[in-house]
Order: sequence, then structure tokens, then C-alpha cells
Amino acid sequence: MLKQENIYKPIKAKLTEVIDESPLIKTFILIPEEEFAFGTGQFIELSVDGIGEAPFTPSSSPHVTEKLEVTVMKTGYVTEYMHNLKPGVFMGIRGPYGRGYPVEKFFGKEVIILGGGCGLAPIRSLLYALEHVKDNLQKVILCYGSKTPSDCIYKPLFSRLNKIEKFEAYRTVDKADSEWDGPVGVATTLLNKININLKNSVAVVCGPPIMMKFGTLKFLEMGYTDDQIYLSMEKNMSCGLGKCGHCMMGEFFVCKDGPVFTYNEIKNTPDIWK
Amino acid sequence: MHYLTINKEEWDKTIEQLLLSYSIFAAASNEFGIDYELVNGANIARIAYNRAKPVTSLKSFFLPVKENVTSGQLLEKRRIIIGVPNCDVCGLKLLDEIYLDKDFDDIYYRERRENTLLISVDCFEKQLHCHCTSYDVLPWAVADADLAAIQIDNQIVLRVISEKGQEFINQLSLVEVLSDETIISEIDKKHLLAESLLLSDNKDLPGYKQTGGLVNKAGKEVWMKYSSHCVSCGACATICPTCSCFLLIDKPGFEKIKQMDACQYPGFERVAGGEDALYELAGRFRNRYMCKYVWKPEKFSSPACTGCGRCIEACIGKISKNELLIEIAK
Repeated sequence: MLKQENIYKPIKAKLTEVIDESPLIKTFILIPEEEFAFGTGQFIELSVDGIGEAPFTPSSSPHVTEKLEVTVMKTGYVTEYMHNLKPGVFMGIRGPYGRGYPVEKFFGKEVIILGGGCGLAPIRSLLYALEHVKDNLQKVILCYGSKTPSDCIYKPLFSRLNKIEKFEAYRTVDKADSEWDGPVGVATTLLNKININLKNSVAVVCGPPIMMKFGTLKFLEMGYTDDQIYLSMEKNMSCGLGKCGHCMMGEFFVCKDGPVFTYNEIKNTPDIWK
Repeated sequence: MHYLTINKEEWDKTIEQLLLSYSIFAAASNEFGIDYELVNGANIARIAYNRAKPVTSLKSFFLPVKENVTSGQLLEKRRIIIGVPNCDVCGLKLLDEIYLDKDFDDIYYRERRENTLLISVDCFEKQLHCHCTSYDVLPWAVADADLAAIQIDNQIVLRVISEKGQEFINQLSLVEVLSDETIISEIDKKHLLAESLLLSDNKDLPGYKQTGGLVNKAGKEVWMKYSSHCVSCGACATICPTCSCFLLIDKPGFEKIKQMDACQYPGFERVAGGEDALYELAGRFRNRYMCKYVWKPEKFSSPACTGCGRCIEACIGKISKNELLIEIAK
């Protein structure tokens, strides 16, 4: 075997627990066999042995290094296998890759986070990271939308966030059920109800492509500048190393230059909302 | 950079002796044209000097179609590749930027690069679609290869390009300093002839930098027209000396197989939810041009098209990249 570090070789991680978050979403709790640390918003390539790997941003705190949580929506070939995994098996991890959220740039500011669907996974990690440095922040507001109340993941997170000083969390659903008594409408409608200091805040958007687009447009309409808006882009990263070409978005390798970009960096790049 | 010389017969014998310690590949003439062959005692005489590029590009020696990148094997022997045209030498520079970048160094690629000696040839002729000079690539190598071998009558003239080339030469006997100035001036003359032929045959083709702006601005009708003959076979990307996209495939035991891939194949950019930015054929077709002339130049310093013309030769739909570029330049 070669002596130098092999960039393609995963480390093993034991799956210790699987949490059902919603009918299509599960959280996998993993204990890596080797030391593993990541920055919030960075992603990993998570593999099912012999089946395939796919990119995910961990949903756990970057300050907790002994275990790693990854929230996965069943949406394709690899994720369907993942959803059938039982605790005890080993999965493969490569990474962490890319440029995550620049938390230190948020110091002294209000952080307004707009999330939708499974986009709450990277956001939860960001929220943990922001909680860790809350003394340096003005406030943190989460506006989250899911299709139905049962599609909402991490339900206990919302009441917990609302108890933390400087944190506010709001939920909406596209379609209510009999038990839902909260707001109904897409996630961007929540932005109409919050108090912000526009000049001294940053906006973070993470969700399905359609929400990324309309969320960004909404923030622009509210008066945010292009470089106040942070987007977490989703592409089919295969290698994570800026080589394989699958995640190219214009001149950017989303895996290496991103996945977190300011809108200013990518606004002239074609097909960013696809 | 200086010139040395060795008698052709002695050179051929030297190659045969080097087979004991190296794997040697060379561009050799065969009934179909010129392509790389593994050198053995029988084909040394068919090694093609002074000729234009081989059918296959150099990248396949460094980026195999398929390889295990978790428990792959090292090279058994050091390698020599004879007959590398300068378009491919320049193509390798972009691959180096991608595969040996400071953050993620591909150990398999590095091992092959470090253990391969490149002996280039000077192209004294041009093939139908060669257009290196349009992109500031000369038909002879003065950098980035290790040596250049030129046949002048019954001599092989060696131009020493790199230190690695000089070290290699130091171990060879029977190589002498070339003192005959007329041979050097003959080589210079052949260079200029090839260069002027390339320039005049491609006088309507826009330069590399200019092409970026033209490709970026070209309307959908151009991409629709030229892609109407495209069958998404990916031959253009497969044969290209700089196209290097790949896919990682998982095998049991957390093994990864790296397989060459191409943006021309449907589904290249499809994500799990089903979104596919390159779903339409014309968009996929345009993507390769954008990548070569607009996006890669923004990110890397080496050209992403070195003007070898192989994509035109390989296209079963007879799509000419150069016709397209000349049309959008009008």
C-alpha cells in the first residue's frame, strides 16, 4: 500500500442509532473509528459498503467530535439503502469537504435563517455552532417551513431554541392537518413577521432548490445586499475533492469552492437554481 | 536546453536495452496510422518520429479508464513514453493542476507522473484537424516534457528539456553533443514550416482567449444546430487530452473504483431528487465548450484545449468543433 494519505479512502464509522424524523427522513448517529472533526456547513461523503456514497452535511454540532449525526432523506438509490440500515453496521466517511458557514463573520450581527424540508439538517448544525458563540451574536432567528406538520424534522428543536437567550424559532407548513394550529404558507411568509435590523444582519438559506430561489429573492426584496445572503448549494458531488467534475456550477466546484456561497459570488453563474 | 545526437541504430539498441529496467511505450506507425504501443523488440523500428500526434491522447497513461483507488497497485517498473506530441504535453499541465492540487493530491496520479519519463516528438507535419498554434501551443515541446527525439536521416537528435531528461541521458553511452549547426538550423526550419502550415490552415479559427467570449455569448440556435448530430457517446471527452471527469463507484470492503466519466453522458449532473441541470442535449453539448473555453480558464492557468483536434476526429456525428467556433466568430 501507498504510504501517503489516500484522498479516496474512507474511514469507517459505526452506526449506533437510527432516529425516525419523518416518514422520509432519518437521522443516523455514527461513531467514527478515527478522529473526525468538521466545520459547520462542510459536507461529508457517506457510504454504504459496496453500494455507493452520497454527500451530506452533518446535522450535529461541530463542537461534538466523538459522534456525528447525519440526517438523510430517502430520495435515491443510496439513501434508500441507508434507510434500511440497522444499528451495528459500519458506514464509510470521507471528508469533511468544502467551505462551510463562516461563523466568525457573523459576529456582532443578527443571523436570519430560512430553511425548508431536509434543509434543516445543515441548519441544525449551524444553530449548534451559533449557540456555542451566542455571546458574540445579536440574535438568531430561524424560519422553517415543511410540507405538512408530520414532515417537520427535529420537532423538539423549536421549543428548545425558543428557550435560548437571543434565539427565536418559527414554523410554518404548506398544508395543515387537524392538529396544526400554527401558520400555513411557504417558509418565506414567516419573514414578514420578524423584526430585523437589516443593516446589521446576514441571511442564510438552505432548503430545496425552489425555496433557495424564492428565499433569495425574498431577502433581496427585503433589502438585503447580495453579499449578506449565504446559500448552501446542492449538487451531485462524487469525489468531494474538486476533481471529478460532477458538481461543477459554472467555474465553481461546489464541493471545494462551496457548498456555502454568498449570493454575490454565484449570482452570475448559470443554472444555480437547478 | 541543448541538443545531443546518437546514431539511429544505436538509439534503437539503447531502447531495447532499456526494456530491462523500464516499461516503454511509444507512438508507432501501424496500418491505421500512429498510436501508442507497448514497446518490445519487434516494434522499435516502427516508432514514429517527426510525425503528428498518435490517435490516443497521453492522459490514458495517467488516468486509466478504470482503476481501484483504495487498494490499487503501484507501477511495476518505471516508464518511458516516446512520441508524445506537444499538444498532449500541454494537456498534462491541466491534469497536474487538477490531480496534484495543494489540497488534494491524488497519490496514484502522482506516482505515475513521477515515474514516467516523457520523450516528446517534434511534429514536422500536421494532420487535418490539428490546430495547436491557434491556442499558443507549438508543434514541438520546449518545456514540461523531459526530452524531445527528432530523426534527421540516420541520427536521432535529442533536445534536453528537463533536469530529469538530463539525468536520464547521463546514464546513456554513445550520446554525443550535437556540433553540426546545419542540423539545428534544419530542425528550426522544419519547426517554422509546421508552424506556418498550422497557422495558415487555421487562419479563421479564433484564439483561445477570444473563443471564451464567443462561446459565452453564442445563442441557443448554435448549440441546437451543432448538437443535432450528437448522440451523447462521449467520444470527444474520452479522447480529449484534458477532459478528466470521473465517477467513484463503491465495491464491498469500502473500496472505490474511479472510472472516467463525461459531461456528455445523460445524467452526469443529476442529483438524487431528480433535478438535472444538463438534462437537455443542447445544454450538455454547450457545457463542454463552456468548460473548455470559459470556466476552466477562470480557475486554472493551463489551457483546457490544446488544439489536438481529436474530438473532431472521434465524433461519429461528424461535428466539427472548429466549424462551430469559426461560425460564432463571424
